[in-house]
Amino acid sequence: MPSTDLLVSMLSDVAREGAVRAGRGLSGLMGQEVSIHIPDVRLGTKADACDAVGGVEAIVLGAYLSISGDITGHVMLLFPVARALQCVDLMCGQPLGTTTEPDELAQSAVGELGNIVGSAFVNALADYANLILHPSPPSIIHDMAIAPVESIYAEVLSQGGDVVMIDTVFEDQTGHTAGLLIVAPDPVCMDRLLRVAA
Amino acid sequence: MTAPAADQRRVSVGIGQIAVSKNANDVLIAYGLGSCVGVSAFDPQTGVAGLVHVLLPASEGKGAASTEPARFADTGVDLLIKLLREAGAVPRRLIVKVAGGAAVLGPANAEKFKIGQRNAEAITERLKHHGLRAAAADLGGIRGRTLELHVASGKTFLRTAASPANEL
Repeated sequence: MPSTDLLVSMLSDVAREGAVRAGRGLSGLMGQEVSIHIPDVRLGTKADACDAVGGVEAIVLGAYLSISGDITGHVMLLFPVARALQCVDLMCGQPLGTTTEPDELAQSAVGELGNIVGSAFVNALADYANLILHPSPPSIIHDMAIAPVESIYAEVLSQGGDVVMIDTVFEDQTGHTAGLLIVAPDPVCMDRLLRVAA
Repeated sequence: MTAPAADQRRVSVGIGQIAVSKNANDVLIAYGLGSCVGVSAFDPQTGVAGLVHVLLPASEGKGAASTEPARFADTGVDLLIKLLREAGAVPRRLIVKVAGGAAVLGPANAEKFKIGQRNAEAITERLKHHGLRAAAADLGGIRGRTLELHVASGKTFLRTAASPANEL
C-alpha cells in the first residue's frame, strides 16, 4: 500500500475513535446525545475544502489548536457562523436562535467546542500511535473560510508535505450540523506516523 | 464599487493560480487571502490586467515550481510579468498592488507562523528584481482579505469578513 494510503487509513481509524470521544464529551456538555460522523478523510489541497462550510467566502466561526509534543501539527474546527451559534445555544442549554451574534460569550463557547473536539482527536492519535501530544489552548477564528484553511496549507506545504483533511458532520437531536475539521501533522513527523501505521 | 454589469464575468483565481485578461467584462478575484498574498498588475495603456495568488515565499527548486509556478512568490511574480508582457503589457507601465500576508490563526500564533510576512517580503523583493514596486499595499494583520481587480478600470478592491469592499 502506498505510504499516503497507509496514512489516510490510519488517520481514518484515529478520526473514528476521535469522533466517538468528542461525541461523548459534547453529549455531556450539551445535555443531549450528539454524534459526530466522519464522511471523508483525504489528502491534499482540494479546491472544494470549504464547501462543507458554505464556500470560500462564507464567514466561519471556529477554533485553531496547535499540537506539540512527540509530533507537531495543527487542528482546526470551522462552522458556518449560524451553525456555530446553534452549537453555542445547545451548549448553554438555550432555545436555538437565542445567540444571534458571535459575541464574547459565543466565542468563548466555540473555543471550548474546539478544545473538546480537537483534544479528542489529538488524544485518539496519541493513544493510537503511543505518542505524548499536547494540544494548545484554542485560538478563535472568525473569518472568511478559505483564509485560515489556506494558512494551514501554507504552513504544512512550506515544509513540503501533504495536508490531511478530515470532514466532520455533527448530528444532534435537531438534525445535522456540518462542520469542517482539519487535522494536519507537520510533514517532518510523517515518517514517525507511517512507522506506526505500517 | 459600481454595480456589476450584466455581462460581467467573475474569474476566481484560486490558491497557486494566475489569470491574465484584457476583456473589460472580467473581474479577477482572489478570495479570502490569509497568509497568501495576491499580486495584481494593470497596464493602463493597453488595458491588460493580471492577478496571481501566491501561497509560499520561495520555490527553492521544489518540483511544484515547474507544475504550479504561481504557487510561489518568486516564480509567481516572474510568470505574472511574462504573461502580461505576452498579452501586450509593458512592464514599466504596470500598476502593481499587493494584499494579504496575514496571520489569521490567532494572535497567539502570529509569532510562530510567519509565512504571511515571508510571502509579503518575498514578493516585494521579486518585484524589485523586475524594477517594480507596489503602488498600493495592504499586508499583515490578522484578517483574511478578498482582492478584486476590475479589468475595465484597472481598479482594485479589498474586503474582509468585517468590512465591505474598499478601493485599494
